[in-house]
Amino acid sequence: MTDQTSPAELVRRSLKRRYRKERRFRAYGILAIVIALSALLVLFADIISKGYTGFIKTTITLDVTLDPEVMYLEDPTDPDELSMADFTAPIVRALQEELPDAQDKTAERELARMVGTYAPNRIRDLLKDSPELLGTTQTMTFLAHDRVSVYVKHADNDMYSIRLSEQQIEWVDQLREQGIIDTAFNDVLFSTGDSREPTNAGILGAIVGSLLTLVVTLVIAFPVGVAAAVYLEEFAPRNRLTDFIEVNINNLAAVPSIIFGLLGLAVFIGLFGMPRSVPLVGGLVLALMTLPTIIISSRAAIKSVPPSIREAAEGIGASKMQVVLHHVVPLAMPGMMTGSIIGMAQALGETAPLLLIGMVAFIVDVPEGFLDSATALPVQIYLWASSAEQGFIELASAGIMVLLTFLFTMNALAIWLRKRLERRW
Amino acid sequence: MTNLKHPITASAEVKSESKPTVDQEVRTEEGIAYGKTVGKPYSDNAKFTLRDVNVFYSDVQAIKNISLDIAKNEVISFIGPSGCGKSTFLRCLNRMNDSIDICSVQGRLELDGVDIYQSKRDVVELRARVGMVFQKPNPFPKSIYDNVAYGPRIHGLANRKSELDDIVESSLKKAGLWKEVKDRLATPGTGLSGGQQQRLCIARAIAVSPEVVLMDEPCSALDPIATARIEELISELSQSYTIVIVTHSMQQAARVSHRTAYFHLGHLVEVNDTDKVFTTPEHELTESYITGRFG
Amino acid sequence: MTKKTEDVYGDHISHQFNDDLADLKANFLEMGGMVEQQLNSAIIALMENDGELADEVRAKDKEVDRMEVEIDEEATRIIAKRQPAARDLRLVISVIKMVADLERVGDEAKKIAKFAIGLVEEGQAPRGYIEVRHIGQHVGSMLRDALDAFARLDSEQALRIMKEDKRVDEEYQAATRSLITFMMEDTRNISRCMAVMWVLRALERVGDHACNLAENVIFMVKGEDVRHTPVEEAERIVGR
Repeated sequence: MTDQTSPAELVRRSLKRRYRKERRFRAYGILAIVIALSALLVLFADIISKGYTGFIKTTITLDVTLDPEVMYLEDPTDPDELSMADFTAPIVRALQEELPDAQDKTAERELARMVGTYAPNRIRDLLKDSPELLGTTQTMTFLAHDRVSVYVKHADNDMYSIRLSEQQIEWVDQLREQGIIDTAFNDVLFSTGDSREPTNAGILGAIVGSLLTLVVTLVIAFPVGVAAAVYLEEFAPRNRLTDFIEVNINNLAAVPSIIFGLLGLAVFIGLFGMPRSVPLVGGLVLALMTLPTIIISSRAAIKSVPPSIREAAEGIGASKMQVVLHHVVPLAMPGMMTGSIIGMAQALGETAPLLLIGMVAFIVDVPEGFLDSATALPVQIYLWASSAEQGFIELASAGIMVLLTFLFTMNALAIWLRKRLERRW
Repeated sequence: MTNLKHPITASAEVKSESKPTVDQEVRTEEGIAYGKTVGKPYSDNAKFTLRDVNVFYSDVQAIKNISLDIAKNEVISFIGPSGCGKSTFLRCLNRMNDSIDICSVQGRLELDGVDIYQSKRDVVELRARVGMVFQKPNPFPKSIYDNVAYGPRIHGLANRKSELDDIVESSLKKAGLWKEVKDRLATPGTGLSGGQQQRLCIARAIAVSPEVVLMDEPCSALDPIATARIEELISELSQSYTIVIVTHSMQQAARVSHRTAYFHLGHLVEVNDTDKVFTTPEHELTESYITGRFG
Repeated sequence: MTKKTEDVYGDHISHQFNDDLADLKANFLEMGGMVEQQLNSAIIALMENDGELADEVRAKDKEVDRMEVEIDEEATRIIAKRQPAARDLRLVISVIKMVADLERVGDEAKKIAKFAIGLVEEGQAPRGYIEVRHIGQHVGSMLRDALDAFARLDSEQALRIMKEDKRVDEEYQAATRSLITFMMEDTRNISRCMAVMWVLRALERVGDHACNLAENVIFMVKGEDVRHTPVEEAERIVGR
């Protein structure tokens, strides 16, 4: 080997360097993904570790004797008497049965604060529906008081402060050993609306509110968005006006969502006099916000329809209209739907515009129509996250998990639709 | 033979005066002189009568003063190097250029003596009479049956399902595809092989009973066997249709066409009987192109 | 001149194609030279009663036959591989046809050599040698000119050769007439005179083949078939 090195030799020498570079480059990429994934994992771990207890409720199961004398109730069919009666007393009595040493007045007061605020109401409702049960002994399961619940679930967690007296803690421990205080899956969360009491608060109202809002958004934004996209892409002449429209659609997509909320407040509520806090207005506002996304993604979908298909249809003599309706739109539909679902997912997670149009109100009832006052999932989470009671912390996390589940489902649906429908060409 | 009477010389000249952008003189580009089209561009039995056709893309002139007759039931092939305007010219014949905004077509283009670019003329009707087959097989992502039935459906050619069935069957038979697909008419057309897809596209084009079929490099995406099938099909179809075919393969032009037109930089250099073009072309440029001397 | 023909067949995009066509032409001209020399040698052998030279001519025919096959194969290969068109196609087709003509000329030379050997054994014929030399020179130059016209793509020269063939026919007829007269005068010479007659006949055939070559050259250059067409028509075509 003289100074005349063969090309093969040169290649071999440079190979090592090239491979090293390649490995380094790959390492950077993997590092980036690891960082992103770990951030996501930390987020999830945090939310799940904080929130999973939101799916657990603490119950107290007691044999309650519905003694008329204790309740000062003679006739459960009389509304006046029903409203005057003392339904806390039978619960306290039942607890005293289990805790024989708690007999004085102070103890009674503390015992009463161990069951949820709405526990007496359950007895009232039971007697109102079935007056014949007066005087009998019923096995009833009550929700524990928020403080008891916090103690049961978070006794060894520094983030929570236990607000029970020494005496109460002793009782709770005792009752737990007896199996009277127990934990179960929190079905309350999915069956009621909001409440001042963390143990009684549910997310169903927010879910239904969100769904109603999204239905309005979809019904308005999808047809309008697709029609606008089809017109702009297929029929509109290319001139300054359409250029202007195009630029503005792209700008709209970048407008902060709170602006849409202001717009909704000013136009729908202020100008048209629509009611506040209703899914209809929320849906309209979110539809405005989602429109640019749908238009842009639909136009992209239309653009991606192979020109050969268009030519084929034109070549046979299909009119512009037929080309669009028979070929372009059906072929672009998967893309349009994907874009719309992603837009919907965006709308689902939107809080700011809803705050402005009053969907942030405290609403206990599950909405039943588009004109019922309602709130939405992200707003509910926001409300809970800013509440004082400790029980709401875990509810907020649980709410986030529910919201994320919805978002994942919608995104998965988008991916599935694309995979499913796009295979056709 | 070579000097058939130019039936509309007078009117053509009048027309050209109003178009100062087109020089009527002998043009020189890259030192090559373009005169009048040599050979026999005119026919007594014209289906298409094309006179002084100029096509512009914005400022660029893609077609320069082309006059040509396309006779009934003839197969004429357009050959020439890439960018010579042959496809552009073909697309003028069924106004496929309409959808390109910057494209403007001047001159007289007549189908059976009626100007196809008259604003009153409906382009949909024109395309029903002048079908087209494209370079890349482009069946719709629908079933084989629906592909063929699409044209008759939108033009209302069949009143009953049985009539439509007949049209589909006969079109597929004419396209030589019936035997291969008759048991799977409901399967997607995109599932066929490339050659079958192209024959499906031909079936789709002839299902609306056009008078002229334009083919834009119909075999460029196909293997030799599929190409041979299509070529065979073209000669069969020439019994009942006028066929205009753009091709990059000179051998293909030699095999399938009656007349061959050679395009160069937007000019129609020579039109002659195919036999003549491939043995003794009259124009230097034609000769250079078909003998593989361009460069 | 060679530069010009080089240009006509040599500016393809494919260099290999250029080389193939150039080889074909070169081989054809080489075969033409061989046949030309064969013919000259045969005539000299006859004139000078040279049996050895005549044997050489006969032996050379094998070589010519081999070249004919080789050129045919080459032409077939070009058609198969290149699908020549127009001018190139005409060149290849003409070469295929002309090679057959050249081979026949070679056969005629061989025939003349055979008669020369016969006459060496029998003794020279009393008459006809002047005619043989004259016609021999004439067709020899026609053959040379035809090959020249091919090399230079000179259709006008080819046309001259076509016209020349008529003169050869006339000379041949005159020669046969005089030989027949002589045979009638002296019947002992009939067999030897017949040999000379055959030689004249062979030379006349060579003239015909040269004429065929010329016609093919015109086809090559002008693309029109001038076989079986009146000379005036051929003149019109060449003059175009």
